[in-house]
Amino acid sequence: MSSSIQWKWYGMLLLTVVLQILFLRDLAIGNIAFCFLYLWALLKAPLQIPIGLFLIGSFVLGWTVDIFYNTHGMHAFACVCIAMVRPLIFKVLTPANGYDERSSVSLAEMNALWFFPYLFIMLFLHHVILFLMEAMDASLLGISLLRAFFSALVGMLVFGLLELFSQNK
Amino acid sequence: MNQLFQFLLRQRIFLLFVVLELVNLWGIFKYNDYQHTFYFNTTNRWAASILAMGEEVKSYHQLREVNQDLALENARLHAEIFKLNSQKQPESKIPYFLGEGMLQRYQPLACKVIDQSTQMSQNYLTIDKGTRDGIAPGMAVISSTGIVGKVMSCTSDLSLIVSVLHTGNNVSAKIKSTGELGYIKWGGIQPEVANLQDVSKYKKVVKGDTIVTSDYNAVFPPNIPIGIVAKVGLEKDETFHDIKVMLLTHFSTLKYVYVIKNKLAAQQAILEQAKPKPE
Repeated sequence: MSSSIQWKWYGMLLLTVVLQILFLRDLAIGNIAFCFLYLWALLKAPLQIPIGLFLIGSFVLGWTVDIFYNTHGMHAFACVCIAMVRPLIFKVLTPANGYDERSSVSLAEMNALWFFPYLFIMLFLHHVILFLMEAMDASLLGISLLRAFFSALVGMLVFGLLELFSQNK
Repeated sequence: MNQLFQFLLRQRIFLLFVVLELVNLWGIFKYNDYQHTFYFNTTNRWAASILAMGEEVKSYHQLREVNQDLALENARLHAEIFKLNSQKQPESKIPYFLGEGMLQRYQPLACKVIDQSTQMSQNYLTIDKGTRDGIAPGMAVISSTGIVGKVMSCTSDLSLIVSVLHTGNNVSAKIKSTGELGYIKWGGIQPEVANLQDVSKYKKVVKGDTIVTSDYNAVFPPNIPIGIVAKVGLEKDETFHDIKVMLLTHFSTLKYVYVIKNKLAAQQAILEQAKPKPE
């Protein structure tokens, strides 16, 4: 992993968080789907990143978003959760020839059959935890799951488009 | 100890995860108004229900003392009622003065029933107070709902009571509304039902009338409830009504009774002994 990619990653991290906080905060599609762009950095973190560092990183990322969303702890809770689950997903989705030492999480290097399930599991898990935390009510379980599902679909669309654009470059 | 550290070291990622999530949960419940309220409402509800359960168990164990207290209080209230009843001026034009002795005539004493029967044809009760507490044979015994019987014999700490459910124990009674006199005699079978006898068939008796002890009763204070008229029957060629009375005292569940000390009983007995006996 070259340093240029790392710099690009840090840049995107900053950009997605700022975008999230300033613009996507108030975006709701049909009051049922939300876009959580800031998860980009979490999703695209290098495969070999030390898990401890990754947990703390996702914690800080989550709290940062929480501060602006006024939902102290909820995003962080969901982020740390999916950060913990990520290595498990990697293990489950191992491609036939295993992970390359230099491979990164991207549509270009992994095929679509690996990338989109990964994306969907991560996003859906994050959204379910987040919305249930927010609702805190069993009677809102249905609407929370619905929101999580559609938000995950929107997330897949957005992150898939981002991947396509970075492929072209 | 070393092993513990090694274990912690091996699980450090998971521990880190747990710590971070705990911090998040703390943040969620501490700083989010809705979640904060939710947490407090929930915990309060649980806490309240647990406390209520504990309180219920505790109060169940206190029932014994509560019963005792209530029995004592009832005794006090009975004394009050006797006093007030005797103070009540009878409706007469003649000026009437009530003596101090009559005012303090009846003194109730709460006692616990320690043995009893209702299924025999002659029923008795044993109570936990005796001559040491001033109980003497011949005293009236009532419950909080009605009459029970009279004291037959006493030891220093226990007394035996002849229940009203005893074919030989008659109680002078009257119908509360009309004042018709009669006496209560138990039939010997049902512990809930007794007969009211000696009420002339020319007097009006209605189902539902209350039967109370009469004023001329040597044992009981006047106007102690006995029962409710349940059935009025009239046999042909009979002089008296055949009246069934539902007793107000529930003998089978009797726990506390009140022995009524009649302070003038001895004087009355002496006086009545002086009556010339029929030859």
